[in-house]
Amino acid sequence: MKEKIIGKGYPIRDSILKATGHKIYVDDMKFPNMLYGKILYSTIAHGKVKSIDTTEAMKVEGVKAIATCFNTPHIKYNSALRFYDHDIPFTETIFSKTVRFVGDRVAAVAAETMEAAEKAVNLIKVEYEELPAVFDVEEAAKENAYPIHPGGNVLNEIKANAGDVEKGFAQAYKIYEDRYEVQPVNHGALEPHTCIAQYTIDNRLTVHSSCQNVFAFRVILSQILEMPLHKIRMITPSIGGSFGGKLEMTIEPVAAILSKMTMQPVKVTLTRKEVFKSTRTRHAAVMYIKTGVKESGEIIAQDINILLNTGSYASSCYNVLGALSHKIYKVYKIPNLRFRGVPVYTNIPIAGAMRGYGSPQIFFAQQAQMGKIAKDLNIDLVELQKINAALPDGVDQRFNSPLGNPRILDCLNEGSEIFQWERKKNIVGEKGYKHGVGMAIGAHGNGVFGAHRDYISLALKLNEDGTTTLLTGVHDMGNGSVTLQTQMIAEVLGITPDKVETLEADTDAVPWNLGDYASRGLYVEGAAAKRVAEKLKRKIVELAEEILKTKDLILEDGYVVSQSDSSKKISLSDIAVYSQKEKEAEITVVESHRSEAGITSYGVHFAEVLVEEETGKIKVISYTACHDSGKVINPLAATNQLDGGIHMGLGYALTEDYVFDEKGNMTNDSFGSYKMFRAHEMPEIKTHFVKGFEETGPYGGKSIGECAVVPAAPAILNAVYDATGIEIKKLPIKINKEDLND
Amino acid sequence: MENYYLNINGNNYKIIGDENESLLNILREKLNLTGAKCGCETGTCGTCKVIIDGKAVKSCRVRGFDLQNSKIETIEGLADGYKLHPIQEAFIEAGAIQCGFCTPAMILTTKALLNENKNPTEEEIRFAFRENLCRCTGYVQIVEAVKLAAKKLGGM
Repeated sequence: MKEKIIGKGYPIRDSILKATGHKIYVDDMKFPNMLYGKILYSTIAHGKVKSIDTTEAMKVEGVKAIATCFNTPHIKYNSALRFYDHDIPFTETIFSKTVRFVGDRVAAVAAETMEAAEKAVNLIKVEYEELPAVFDVEEAAKENAYPIHPGGNVLNEIKANAGDVEKGFAQAYKIYEDRYEVQPVNHGALEPHTCIAQYTIDNRLTVHSSCQNVFAFRVILSQILEMPLHKIRMITPSIGGSFGGKLEMTIEPVAAILSKMTMQPVKVTLTRKEVFKSTRTRHAAVMYIKTGVKESGEIIAQDINILLNTGSYASSCYNVLGALSHKIYKVYKIPNLRFRGVPVYTNIPIAGAMRGYGSPQIFFAQQAQMGKIAKDLNIDLVELQKINAALPDGVDQRFNSPLGNPRILDCLNEGSEIFQWERKKNIVGEKGYKHGVGMAIGAHGNGVFGAHRDYISLALKLNEDGTTTLLTGVHDMGNGSVTLQTQMIAEVLGITPDKVETLEADTDAVPWNLGDYASRGLYVEGAAAKRVAEKLKRKIVELAEEILKTKDLILEDGYVVSQSDSSKKISLSDIAVYSQKEKEAEITVVESHRSEAGITSYGVHFAEVLVEEETGKIKVISYTACHDSGKVINPLAATNQLDGGIHMGLGYALTEDYVFDEKGNMTNDSFGSYKMFRAHEMPEIKTHFVKGFEETGPYGGKSIGECAVVPAAPAILNAVYDATGIEIKKLPIKINKEDLND
Repeated sequence: MENYYLNINGNNYKIIGDENESLLNILREKLNLTGAKCGCETGTCGTCKVIIDGKAVKSCRVRGFDLQNSKIETIEGLADGYKLHPIQEAFIEAGAIQCGFCTPAMILTTKALLNENKNPTEEEIRFAFRENLCRCTGYVQIVEAVKLAAKKLGGM
């Protein structure tokens, strides 16, 4: 049957609220008697807190409580915890007695006004005993480096291996060895981190938070505060952008402990400066990559070594490295591939989940080297990619398991056509400019299949008027994941998406979800919505068969209709009423859905740049992104995600960076100095999805959100390399004009 | 401390207190007009933009006290009851809204632009947004929304 809802563009379902200013974000909320919380951060990169003097601060009118590392629980946790029994290193505390970066939390004030809280925070006196600090990941990894945590700075390594790499290198025609380096970057969500915690006399804690994982946050809070889960309610009313930055717990325990101390609701909203310094970054990394190729360009062996800079705490370093180690097996037909990665502590802000989750780092290194290999072997870069690209029937070399249906070749063919690769690669820049084209492949997974549990439960109710209500643990970050769920349900039930209302991300009200990360939105959560709708449909059809006395029923336009006799029909509303009246039973279903396979989404990006000879300034003038996202379920949302991903990728490539002074203090902690691309700075962008179909995906769909960002930086780098011939091995890409005119 | 009045969306609001308070703070904290968002407080993200005497202005950078004779428009005043303004319709239809945090400011910036220039070029549209950051859309759909809004309003 032809689908009516799937494949059509729907604006994000709460657009009207957002367009009218009626959407309520957490910082827009106030509770009676609410206090304002303000955090005091470490001003040094490494040291022991010897004493904290709050005498003067407590005298400020309106101050109700001051929490410090000396009067709050010191139970260790991991802010990247995902589920109850998740086994990862617990290294953080609410406030630190040993501070490990400029921006570590040492105390917080709750006061009747924000002004009073700010004033008081500035009056708190902290005495530190400074310790040696290390910011460079390679320095920190050295055996004699000062340990940031007991046991040293190098955490356990992650390894992955396919074939025999040494044997492969022995067969190689040429071997390339390079070192690449990527910087920490910030998510740059426009809504700063914000939450309101409300501890009440019945020992209940309710937290409204702009977060991506209410169920995980509930577990962490229960550990830190030693509370049972049923006494904690986490709610995410809305999120003003996240990109992974609100997946890991940051300010919630602070608000919670202040509320517990005062028995009043406490709101903590960070400033932009605080978001930069004290929340999370994408992992910086140093990557060594050694590649052996045959004369034909075929890669025979690749050896990858990564030092992943986790910053001052462990957080999600293992998860990110693990994810990264999987992805490199999904793109090429490399028979011998070896991976080794070690996370390393340094005294810079904590690294965490960010859109791409390891992929932007590793594909930057691998794809940048591909640009170099193509030039050296004098093979067109697109051709080199085609020689090595995994085919639709390809296998993951590591486990010899099917990759699914990767349409990389289609992306290469259609993308180079749209971009006009052949024509553009021969263009010579106008006087004063060097012209170049580049491209890169990137990939990202769909969920965490194989890594750990990956499921979601949903509840779906049929209302008396034939409309439905979905109870979902999905947090829509603006990417349309809940909209997508309503599309799935509407398609199955033969209604329109506006007939599906949703209650989202509230631990007291909706069934469990793993959390919104790992590009689970379509492949896992969307599939779950389809599945729960199918269960509801079965109940509806069962009742309709009883009423209409026929078995050949389909659901269409709000009715259950006989295919052989269209006069036999009954509305969903009448069925709900029939159930109430005759059965005295509710038509509500609950269903769990687990991920079915570890599939991958692919993207191929093309960039055209001009490099100004006088200044070395790089300008991207055109850009084409071609993706395999299986069957595109919502073209509007998918294109939106892709455009946004490119925006983020361009920033990663050219402008965004954490700049630290010699003391480890970030010096570009504002939107003025941390340069995200603005509308007039963006190139012309063309986006395209190849015709794909994922067998295990709902209606053939795969994810897009994270994959969108991955190929951008190496595509730009390869274009700059093509234009200038200068080998750049570090992000953000900078060209010295001296090098240019050599 | 002096009381004064601000004309916002055609209504007069009595403002009590601090003459140094930013318009953004007044809107959000005193009047509960939370459509204007605070993304940075330093005038670089543009999520707090409102229209003052026809121009899109960052409300975190102006004092309410100085606007006693001005006409202030916020996102809350744009729709006519349940009827959306054509620019709001255009943003929804074009899919120019994702997380929505920048949206009210983007819509008001569009209104100020289209008031002055009924048929802006793509370059002019992008220039009008030079002080409005968006992290979700890459601006593509926002630019499309402005073009669609111009069409709806009789331009283009």
